[in-house]
Amino acid sequence: MAWVAQRIAISLVLIWIVTTIVFMAIHLVPGDPAEALLTQGGMAADPALIHQLRVDLGLDRPILVQYAGQLGGMLTGDLGQSMMDGAPVTGLIAQRLGRTLELIAAAAVLAVVFGLPSGTAAALRQGGWFDRLASGIAAVSMAMPVFVIGTLLIMLFAQQLRLMPAGGYVPFLQDPAQHVILLAMPAITIGVGLIAIVFRMTRAAVLDVMTRDYVRTARAKGVSRRRVLTRHVIRNALMPVVTVLALHLGTLLGGTVLVEFVFNWPGLSGLLVDAVNARDYPVVIGVVLTVSILFILLNLSVELLYGVLDPRSRQT
Amino acid sequence: MHLSRRGLLMTAAALPLIPRPTWAQAKDSLIMGLSSYPPNIDPFLHGGTAAGTVKLCIFRGLTSFAESGSVQPELAESFEPETETTWVFRLRDALFHDGSPVTAEDVKWTIETVAAETSTAYMRSEFQTVTSVETPDAKTVRITTATPTVTLPLWFANFNMPIIKKDSLENPIGAGPFTLKNQDRGVAIDLEAFDRFYKPGLPKLRSIRMVAYADENLRVAALQTGDVDLIEYVPWQSMAAIEGDSALRLTTTNGPFMGLGFNGARGPFADPKVRQAAAFAINRQDIVDAVFFGRGAPLESIPYEVDGPFFNEDLSTHWRYDPDKAMALLAEAGMDGGFECTLLSTSQYGMHKTTAEIVQQYLAQVNIAVTLNMPDWATRQALGGRGQYDILIDGTTAESPDPDGLAPILDSTLSPSSSRSYGIPATRLHELFVQGRAEFDQDKRKAIYRDLELELHQIVTKCGLAWRSQGYAMRANLDGFANLPGSLTFYSGRTLETTSFA
Repeated sequence: MAWVAQRIAISLVLIWIVTTIVFMAIHLVPGDPAEALLTQGGMAADPALIHQLRVDLGLDRPILVQYAGQLGGMLTGDLGQSMMDGAPVTGLIAQRLGRTLELIAAAAVLAVVFGLPSGTAAALRQGGWFDRLASGIAAVSMAMPVFVIGTLLIMLFAQQLRLMPAGGYVPFLQDPAQHVILLAMPAITIGVGLIAIVFRMTRAAVLDVMTRDYVRTARAKGVSRRRVLTRHVIRNALMPVVTVLALHLGTLLGGTVLVEFVFNWPGLSGLLVDAVNARDYPVVIGVVLTVSILFILLNLSVELLYGVLDPRSRQT
Repeated sequence: MHLSRRGLLMTAAALPLIPRPTWAQAKDSLIMGLSSYPPNIDPFLHGGTAAGTVKLCIFRGLTSFAESGSVQPELAESFEPETETTWVFRLRDALFHDGSPVTAEDVKWTIETVAAETSTAYMRSEFQTVTSVETPDAKTVRITTATPTVTLPLWFANFNMPIIKKDSLENPIGAGPFTLKNQDRGVAIDLEAFDRFYKPGLPKLRSIRMVAYADENLRVAALQTGDVDLIEYVPWQSMAAIEGDSALRLTTTNGPFMGLGFNGARGPFADPKVRQAAAFAINRQDIVDAVFFGRGAPLESIPYEVDGPFFNEDLSTHWRYDPDKAMALLAEAGMDGGFECTLLSTSQYGMHKTTAEIVQQYLAQVNIAVTLNMPDWATRQALGGRGQYDILIDGTTAESPDPDGLAPILDSTLSPSSSRSYGIPATRLHELFVQGRAEFDQDKRKAIYRDLELELHQIVTKCGLAWRSQGYAMRANLDGFANLPGSLTFYSGRTLETTSFA
């Protein structure tokens, strides 16, 4: 428990440092929310109006006062309001985070469902036709940028075959079938790369575990091939796979931006990009804070999962 | 009816295989693809063109723009000048969305709210010249201005100047053909027909869903696949494909334009001859071809509406590409040896970026070495407003078809902003704009705006580069939607009230 408490304390310090850096950075670059709000459509507003809105939004206060206000709000769980339309930042993040997590979770499911069995199969028949074919596809998949995969899917399934919608979002409760249909292509787009990663990691890990003494011993004892595979090989091979998958999922929290843009999926990354463009300080800080916390929690979860998969790690 | 598990699964699996248009929507509901999600739909703030489309559905002003481009009565049944400083508006029997009548008191309150000292309304500066708003009865509004103002009815057609119910600033209540039903920020805005709209039989649609598609290619794909029925800001590279699709229809107009702004407060561009030289040094057809795929036109003088009464054919090609003339002007300014300068544009929008690159190449041919500065849009706006550039690429449109609608773009004596050139003294130009908006005689106005065009050729507070073709695309069976001409293209959302499916 002391170890967990220590990790949490370090994490809180990290979050404070990240938030401070982001706060300072976004205030240092030119452009401010008042100007962004009033200068739409290529027509600039009168500077007097911009000044008035700056006063209304509290942007005329010294930056340290604004910083103190932001930190104070964070400590009380109040992330403030969007400068664009006054919407509560926590509400915006809660709404958008769920959509991004859903996208990532769907991609992760695809990665596990397709990556694990194919990686295991390729390792068990190393050098065979399936291994060579799957390894080749994985190499191409990993090299392809998500916006290329996404655009190709839209061209093929939406514009040519007219089987799927081009993109967009409908809440699940409003139309479950349409929601799942709209989720499919962006999830596949992210999933393609993840499947390739899981495939390669699984293949390498299984090959490595199969050479271990305990596997040889088990086989020598006459344990069935199926039992050796499930009880010894796959279980031990899972650890590096879980680590890599978890790290990639963390990266995807801030990295789904292109997929969200290509498919018009209104997730957290899109919110961050819009907020940066509009210099919407409270939203930028709120999203960065959320992603930081989630990333740290994800790492913590991975370490705890280690304990489950490999009881020896609990002792260290 | 009994539905087996297998049947249910098979039905679910077949869902994506059903041709989309058959289950997209009922024929009295329209889905429109916007170019961005409106940052706000505040009635009095300029939330951009997408916000304008939404606001034109929810709110209405005293006047509006007709499909011919002229100003027509809207909430006002009629309007006329009583004297040169007094306009009288007579209201029709219209209702706000809460069922209460639109009265002269609501109009007076709206004007005073916009003009208030702490107001951040986009039209605030215009209404500073209003000295009184009288309401002799519930249906009459008399507006008096400090100086004669022939352009006053135009102000009320602006989508940033709707009439809202008195004291409803927190939750604005409008009198437009649709009511705001739901907003899902970043995703969509749902509108529902207002069944007591004052125009009989309108709106024709039961509901409209405005979905934001920031990616222009996805916006087109959504139209092609039947996900949406109508899109704005059709990308130029897709226009030919849409024209070639019998299920779709494209409507375009030349109204918005690209221009070149100058910093006259420092460096070589403080000399009007150098600004003139830059204006002659650029072959505008290349911009039309490369940036807009040939869908536009060179803009070689002031951006007056080509079909309007103030257009001067004989002056319209003044800045035609003439590198020899540009070199001669630079020599007169003592700059024939060339110089270096910075050009501010943005990498966020392709049309701004590519226009900047073409301008850079042409200026290099007359020994002006241009270094490009292409930050994101917000930074570009900030640097432009502070005059931190030598020359600047701009993409904009006039406020109205009247030449006075160009004042916010060309009158550099107004307060600094990224829409206007910085630090260029232009007293004569300013005086002509003031004279033009105070003159009620049409022939005299034409003479004033001809002088203004000649003055611009000399002082070059901004030089036009290219008209750009602004397009809406829709399903071929959509009727009643019109792309309003010229600079009014972004007011086309007004015609959603007459839009329906054939």
